Amino acid sequence: MRRPRRRISHVHAVAEVPSFSSIVERHLDDVHGYIVYLTRDRGIAEDLTAETFEKALRLWPRFDPRRGSARTWLCQLARTTALDHFRAEDRRRRREGAYALEPPPIEEGLFGGLSPELEQALAALSAGEREVIALRVVLDLDGETAARVLGISVTACSTRLSRALKKLEERMGAYVAA
Amino acid sequence: MSQPDFLAEIRSARIEASPELRERVRALAVAVPPRPPRRQLPWRRWSLLLVPACAALALAGALAAGLATSGKHERAVVHGAAVRQAANPPVFSTATAPAGSAKSLGPLTPNGGGEAAPLPATPGRAQQYEADLTLRVKDLSAATKRALRLTRSFHGYVRSVDYGSGAASGTATLVLRVPIGSIQAAIVRFSALGTILDQHVSIRDVQPQLDKRFRQMQSLRDAIAKLQAELESPNLSAAERTKLENELVAARRRLVVLQRTQAQQRRAASFATASLQLHTAGKAVAPPHEPGRIGRALHRSGSILLDELKVLVYVLIVGAPLLALAALAFGTARLRRRHVEARLLAR
Repeated sequence: MRRPRRRISHVHAVAEVPSFSSIVERHLDDVHGYIVYLTRDRGIAEDLTAETFEKALRLWPRFDPRRGSARTWLCQLARTTALDHFRAEDRRRRREGAYALEPPPIEEGLFGGLSPELEQALAALSAGEREVIALRVVLDLDGETAARVLGISVTACSTRLSRALKKLEERMGAYVAA
Repeated sequence: MSQPDFLAEIRSARIEASPELRERVRALAVAVPPRPPRRQLPWRRWSLLLVPACAALALAGALAAGLATSGKHERAVVHGAAVRQAANPPVFSTATAPAGSAKSLGPLTPNGGGEAAPLPATPGRAQQYEADLTLRVKDLSAATKRALRLTRSFHGYVRSVDYGSGAASGTATLVLRVPIGSIQAAIVRFSALGTILDQHVSIRDVQPQLDKRFRQMQSLRDAIAKLQAELESPNLSAAERTKLENELVAARRRLVVLQRTQAQQRRAASFATASLQLHTAGKAVAPPHEPGRIGRALHRSGSILLDELKVLVYVLIVGAPLLALAALAFGTARLRRRHVEARLLAR
């Protein structure tokens, strides 16, 4: 009996390209949350979120779903936008001579309604430490994807996360003790 | 609160975009419908495609250039080609056309029997006559001896003989000098020694040189006669006499040299040189195999590819330090950017 011929399928499936509107609906909260963790300021985060999606709209023809998900791509754009903002702020502070400014008090419910101690502890971390927590814990990205967004190795990403969590735990302990 | 506890709390908390932000971003998508994304190859895939593409381009270019230039073919003149009985291209070398000579030069036309009608020397003019004959003979020794006997019979002489005979084949090279008046007959007799494989005759008219020298000698003789007449004058001072005598001696010396050279050249022109190459056992010299169009094209393509490779190696050698510098600059810029980012995110 003749064996049926097997059709050889492609090793890599051709990725479906979502529409821009659909990724806006799907990932707006994730991107906004990520930027909130980065900037610790809702107002700035809103502006940067809008800027991120403007950039995404411009760069949409260059998005390749085979290289990563839309969420990862948007997080990378969000990070670049936030860093540009930080650079601009840094230059402004240098011009104005305002170096040793105290960070502004955090607004209530900034991080999505966490307990006050946890919010305070999170706010006390650096932007880089909050960033890795946002990517790995809040957005639940795997190590490789988070490392790609941060532009570092997977090992470095894991190390950064464990340091951030340890610091958070220490601060939580200090607040609870206080 | 332990780590798992606050991690669970963080995970359960949700940061939502405000309605204003949501509308703002939705408006972006609606206002300008975005173009569908292009499917682009990553740069690594591009580089994987680029290398073989460049190699294929280089190869195609070399082949095309090789084919285009393979049509030009320079045929080397081959002496000693086997002469067939039916079609033997006439071979003759034109000399300076002797002034006033009524005879026209004709080619040697060998036949199967080995006889040839050689070019005649022009009587009354000094000529440098050289004939080259290549013959296939049955018996090398006998043919060589016969050639030597013939030379003597024409009152000529042997300038050199080079004889070599092996088990399978042999060659003899003879350089003979024969009076120019007998060279025609001599060539006919030499040709009869075997089968002609190749022949070549060269005639160079040297009469103008002799005439010119003769005129020089005549003017020297006139000058000598005049000097002698002047020396007979009684009114010459001692200094004048000495000067005239010196001039006379120099003129006589020059005349002697010219006379000697004239005599040598006349003697040389009175004899013709016949070079005989005798071969045995099918020593016909076959022309070298010439490649066809495809062979020439492949050879030329190979040379072009080799030149392309040399250029590539040169570019790599020259460009390697620049590439290293560029890589270093890129790495430094990347490190610096990371450092700046870390500083910005450390707040």
